[in-house]
Amino acid sequence: MLRRKRKDLGGIPTASMSDVAFLLLVFFLSTTKFDIKKGLGIVLPAASDGTQKKVRLKDDNLTKIWIDKDGKITMKSGGEERSVPINELQKTIHNIVTQNPDMVISLKTDRKSKYQYMVQALDKLQAAGAEKISLSTN
Amino acid sequence: MANIKKSARPETAIPTASMSDIAFLLLLFFMVSTVFVREKGIPVKMPKAASIEKIPRNHSATIYVNRGGMISIDDFKVSIPDVKYVMQKKLAEDFNVLTCFRTDKDTSYGIMSDILNQLREAQTLRVYFEAKLKR
Repeated sequence: MLRRKRKDLGGIPTASMSDVAFLLLVFFLSTTKFDIKKGLGIVLPAASDGTQKKVRLKDDNLTKIWIDKDGKITMKSGGEERSVPINELQKTIHNIVTQNPDMVISLKTDRKSKYQYMVQALDKLQAAGAEKISLSTN
Repeated sequence: MANIKKSARPETAIPTASMSDIAFLLLLFFMVSTVFVREKGIPVKMPKAASIEKIPRNHSATIYVNRGGMISIDDFKVSIPDVKYVMQKKLAEDFNVLTCFRTDKDTSYGIMSDILNQLREAQTLRVYFEAKLKR
């Protein structure tokens, strides 16, 4: 009597599929870096090529903020000059800007001053709602 | 004699058949969202700020400036007068380019001011000063 040969069923083993998936998953989990950039935005004025007209601002519409090399802030608004601590800057500027929305804030930073002092001040100005900000140095 | 039947215990096994589906789903998510960092940059300690906004990544060109005043764009060391030409090239490639500064917090502002002047000449006027969120 002839015996029938048993057919070997071909198939891909799927039991270890989840192991493979988890391995890949762990790889991507550990290598993923969500590169979300955050910062303070500002639009610079175009470089003057001699064709632009110079606009003279009235003193009433200009507030000057001066940051010296040690990070000390001096503010000049409406002819009155005084020193302002960084934690009071936002409140002071907010009062000025709400009174006069056309107010231009000129932020002048000493060349030897640290970059972080300028960023701190700019942060406060933007938080206070100032929209017309000019950056300059001596 | 009363026949007390044992109550059948409910089965307490976690179904593992769909485990690989979950794994693949998560895997696909991470594969799609992964961004392999293209530029290395130079190590900087960024300043902290509170009123920061998200910077659109697809148009941004990053300028690294460390505390020694070294400027790096796309992993190339650039001197201040050359920033203008590099940025003009970037503007030609992408009209909506915006510049993103990764500057060390202790860098002197004079260097930043010089770079900003270069950007003004290159007509790349949208600038972001990258900062960490102050908590």
